[in-house]
Order: sequence, then structure tokens, then C-alpha cells
Amino acid sequence: MKATLPVTPTKIKLTAGNDTLLIEWSDGHLSAYPYRYLRDKCPCANCSEARARTPSAGSLIPIFGAKPLRPERAELVGRYAVQIYWTDSHSAGIYSFAFLREMCPCAECMAKGKDTSGA
Amino acid sequence: MSRKVSPQDVLNALRAVEDPDLHRDIVSLGFVKDLEVGDNRVAFTIELTTPACPVKDQLAASAKQAVHALGVAEVQVRLTSQVRTAKSGKDVLIPQVKNTVAVASGKGGVGKSTVAANVAVALERTGAKVGLLDTDVYGPSVPALMGGSAQPRVVEGKLEPPVECGIKIMSMAYFLPKGEAVIWRGPMLHKTIQQFLGDVRWGELDYLLMDLPPGTGDIQLSLSQTIPLTGAVIVSTPQDLALTVASKAIAMFQKLNVPILGIVENMSYYLCPQCGHREEIFGHGGAREAAHKLGFPFLGEIPLDPAIRLQSNGGRPVALVDSTAYGKVFHEVAGALAAQISIVNSQTDQPISIE
Repeated sequence: MKATLPVTPTKIKLTAGNDTLLIEWSDGHLSAYPYRYLRDKCPCANCSEARARTPSAGSLIPIFGAKPLRPERAELVGRYAVQIYWTDSHSAGIYSFAFLREMCPCAECMAKGKDTSGA
Repeated sequence: MSRKVSPQDVLNALRAVEDPDLHRDIVSLGFVKDLEVGDNRVAFTIELTTPACPVKDQLAASAKQAVHALGVAEVQVRLTSQVRTAKSGKDVLIPQVKNTVAVASGKGGVGKSTVAANVAVALERTGAKVGLLDTDVYGPSVPALMGGSAQPRVVEGKLEPPVECGIKIMSMAYFLPKGEAVIWRGPMLHKTIQQFLGDVRWGELDYLLMDLPPGTGDIQLSLSQTIPLTGAVIVSTPQDLALTVASKAIAMFQKLNVPILGIVENMSYYLCPQCGHREEIFGHGGAREAAHKLGFPFLGEIPLDPAIRLQSNGGRPVALVDSTAYGKVFHEVAGALAAQISIVNSQTDQPISIE
């Protein structure tokens, strides 16, 4: 339980091109999250429960005519997380930095599996 | 023998004076201001990061000595302070509050509220602007500890916090009719925390101390989500068991990226008011050892004394009188806490940018 500084984002770019959200981390790592990937992993209680009930559902059924999915804005939550406000009106997800780093989809992190705490 | 020195000579000499907490010299830290160089006379200001700086006299003495060593006969050092903040300008709720400190404990009965109230008083007595927020909605005790009978008023649609012992205070106790209890669930508590922060006219504060309820619950989480806390202080009694329980509170704050500013050992020993004998009735040093093992700063030991309890319940925090043993102890803890806040602020990275 040493008092070392945890890895945190230094910059969050909501529109980094190619429908991805970019996070620059304090240890120099870069994470690029496709919007769909990030939205599908929303950690709020409702989404978590929906995924548990129908694990094969993956993406929500696309609603024709809906606005293209992207994060409209994001706000810091305390010192440990960010809350994303999506264009599909969903905003209950509080994504902790630890969670975001754990699910970084880059090849290096995916190869390491769970061992991406960075602390 | 007089010697003409240049301002650059003085600054170079002062680079030898290092702040023992921030590990940099006072010139590169930007502390040295208002430098005046005359014939055989030098005057300057050292602007500290807190009026409660525990090493301010040492810094002033070292600085004076460094300039005397240049051959200057008359050296005048003025000490001022400007409390720094690590917050970005974007804080909507409490933009003028520079530092927020949660005072927590793993379990109840360790005297956390008394510690919070007295440390707040001790900080205020050094010249800092201090607020004390009682977030223990179920057992609010702060107004009773501080004494006085001021009540909150509504000014321009917000609550004006009563001031006792020079400190702005807010507590659920002001709103509960005598004998009534609060029986609320999570969302009400969360809303209350937001209101106690955003709807209270805290004004410009150097330190806002928050007395938390014991343990790890809704209020701790709400607080850590609502604002970016500067850090947390953990209050524990000497028994190891108490600290094992405190470990849960520590783990919770770490998960929320809230820095642990330090551990305080309360009821550390009994000081006999008659003969001054010191008896370690709960064992001793458990919290200090645990802090050392875990790598957290240890802020001090506060003795158990009937006077603290009597005065607390009688509404006069012992820290008001800094010439007594208790006054001195709280003054030291306050200084240690202020130093840790300065250190944490100096280590905090640039605010996270979202674009």
C-alpha cells in the first residue's frame, strides 16, 4: 500500500479521428478507444446488468435515423474517473482511469492481458 | 567593512537555502520576493506556501545567514504566505477553496471530529483561512465542538456558514430539530454533499476540512466523486486493530486516487493534568509504526486528556490556547498537515485536459 502516484491520463481527446477517443497517460502510454467499444463497455449498473442478461447482444440494436454515436462531452469525476456524455443520451457511465487503462485495446495491452495496472 | 552586493549575488547566495519538504531551493521555488539591496543592507520577503509552515523560522534563519555570509551587515527577512492550490481553474462548485482535506477513520469512536475541529482551529491561528464541513449527516457533532450559537442564514440564495473560532462551519446539525434523526438513503446523501459544497458561501478558503462519518460509505464516495479532494487524513487510535480497520479507509481513498496526507494517532497516551505523568494506556506507537511501514506520513500523536473532552463538549476547542500541551500538539499536527498539502500540490501533475 505504498503511496506511489498512480498512472493517470494527462490528456483526453474526445474526437481523435476515425471515431476514436484518445487518452494520453502520465507514463507516456497512448490509448485509442473506438466509440462503439467504449460505449459497449459502459460500466454503469444498467448496462452491466443488460450485458449479463444477454451476453451475445454486444452492440445495442442500431436504431435507424439515430445520431451517429460519439462522446458529446466528458467530465472528470473526483480524481479517479471520467464521466462520458454520449450522443445516444446515455451518460450514467463513470469510467475509472484504472478501468480505462485495463481495457486499453492496443496490441501491447491486449497481449499483457490483465497485467496493465501500470502502478 | 561594507561591501556592495548585487541582487544577483543575493539570489545566488539564497540558492543554498533549500525547503526541506519540497527539496528545492527557495529561489527556484519562487519564494523570494521584494528584494531590496542597499548600502550594506539587504531586505527581502520569503513567501511560504502556508502560514502554518513548520520550518519557517529555520528557513528565515538560513536565508539571513546566507546573506550575512556575503558580508552584508544588515539583513531583514519578512515572512509571508500564499497557500497554493493544485486545482485547475475549472472547478464549478467551490472555485475559491484552495485545498480540501477529508478527515476520516476506519471506525467510530477514535475522536476524529475532535481532531478535525482542533486541527482546523490550529490552522486558523497561524493565519490561514479555514472552513470546516461536517459531513457526518447521521451524527453531526461539529457545531457542539466549536461552541457558539450562530445559525446559518440565506444570503443571495445560498447558505452563509456561521463562523465560530474564526472558522466557517456547515453541518446537518444546524437543520435538525433537537432529538431528530436523519433517516436517508444514498441519493439524498449525495445531494446533501453537493449542496453543502455548491450552495454554501464558503468564499475564499485556504483549507476546507471535512469531518467524515466513520468507515467507508456513501458519503465518502460522494465526496470523492463530487470534488477532486486534495487529500485525506486518517485518524486512528494506537491499537493495531484500530489501524487494521483504518486500512479499509486507506484502501478506499487509494482506489479513488485521493492522496493520503498522513495518519494521526489520537488517544495516544494519557497525560496526567496534576503531575504531567505520561501513561500509554492503549499501547503506544502502533499508528506511527503502521504509517512508517505503509509509507505514509505520520502527522502526530494526540494525548488523551479529560480536558480535551470536557472542553470539546463544552464547546471550546483546546487548540484555541496554544500555550498548553494540547494546544502545542495540535499546532504541530496542523503544521505537519500543511507541509504535506504543499508537498502533494507540488507533485500533482498538470490538470487533465479534456478536448
